[in-house]
Amino acid sequence: MNQRIARLLATMAAVVVTLFGLGAAQTARADDLPTFKLEMNNGKLNPTRIEVPAGKRIKIEVHNTGTNAVEFESLQLRKEKVLAPGAQSFVVIAPLQPGEYKFFDDFHQQAQGVIVAK
Amino acid sequence: MGQVMFIVWRESVEALLVVGILHAWLANPDHGAKRGLPYLWAGVVLGIAAAVGLGAALVGFTEVLSGDAQDYFQTAMVLVACVLIVQMVFWMKRNGRTLKRDMESSLQKNHDQGTWWGVLVLVALAIAREGSETAIFLYGLGFGQGGSVPMSMWLAVAIGFALALVTFWLLQLGGKIFSWRLFFRVTEIMLLFLAAGLLESGLDRLISLELVPTLVDQLWDTSAILDDASPFGSLVATLTGYRAHPSGMNLLVYAVYWLFMWVLLKRAGAPSAKQVKPA
Repeated sequence: MNQRIARLLATMAAVVVTLFGLGAAQTARADDLPTFKLEMNNGKLNPTRIEVPAGKRIKIEVHNTGTNAVEFESLQLRKEKVLAPGAQSFVVIAPLQPGEYKFFDDFHQQAQGVIVAK
Repeated sequence: MGQVMFIVWRESVEALLVVGILHAWLANPDHGAKRGLPYLWAGVVLGIAAAVGLGAALVGFTEVLSGDAQDYFQTAMVLVACVLIVQMVFWMKRNGRTLKRDMESSLQKNHDQGTWWGVLVLVALAIAREGSETAIFLYGLGFGQGGSVPMSMWLAVAIGFALALVTFWLLQLGGKIFSWRLFFRVTEIMLLFLAAGLLESGLDRLISLELVPTLVDQLWDTSAILDDASPFGSLVATLTGYRAHPSGMNLLVYAVYWLFMWVLLKRAGAPSAKQVKPA
């Protein structure tokens, strides 16, 4: 069992290293995408409705301008990102079918928004 | 305030489910598995330290951990936790009943020690994951920033954590109220559901990182019945792997997971059913 756990840990380490490598590659690629800004501020979203082109990879820049931590989350879009106060980050979203995709702030659940792909 | 309470409770419950059930298992006097308890508590301590460290890292190095790096890290973490939970459930199933006898003859000492390390890693991961989110959340509310934190906030945190402890206590009580056999069956299934939730969450991240295809983007939409974007729905999603808008791959992996578990449960149950006399 010790060996099995050692092997498991070694595999995990390999996976993490590979994933970080891939991450670096993708970050570099994310620079020239259609970009939309989203401001999250203590449970307020600006805008609450983001219109994006369907069938295209897009990038959403999330900026936490509030004094509380926020978590951009959408199970539908398969995204979850925690942002400390003042932090800025981005999520890259794979090409979407036309339709509406909900997202919310998991730390302020009254804050609900929607991404509309057309 | 209600929101602070809810978040602290929710994040704590997800971690305490793992800790609570393992603790109930290990502390059961019939098992003689008490030797595992120090590993469990060491895992708790390590997990809390890791949570604070991770939280601080996420706050302090937002640039480094922004974008996809955070995703990759979280993906690895949830998938490892999922594997460890499943491994633990089946190890318990195989060895739980004979653990005391084996311990007494101490034949399997080395074998078992390996598993205790697994307990430690599992508990540490569970706490680090949920705890780091709580740490960032609380930090954002002014905790640890030198600013004064209103008394009501502290109270909300305290109540949230107290509620989580009550949940933990209820889990410990489970074995006293029901027969151990029933308690095992129920908690086993709860843990397998939790692992399924972690698996789906890991899968979602892999899909979002485009390492795995969706097959079909959206099979159906049950958000009218239970919306996974609502507070309750997202809790259900974490604890069971429920999705209101599942992709083909979500469903396929979910089905394969449960099929696999069903086969394993049957195989694990078959030989011991002959050995064990009805309690």
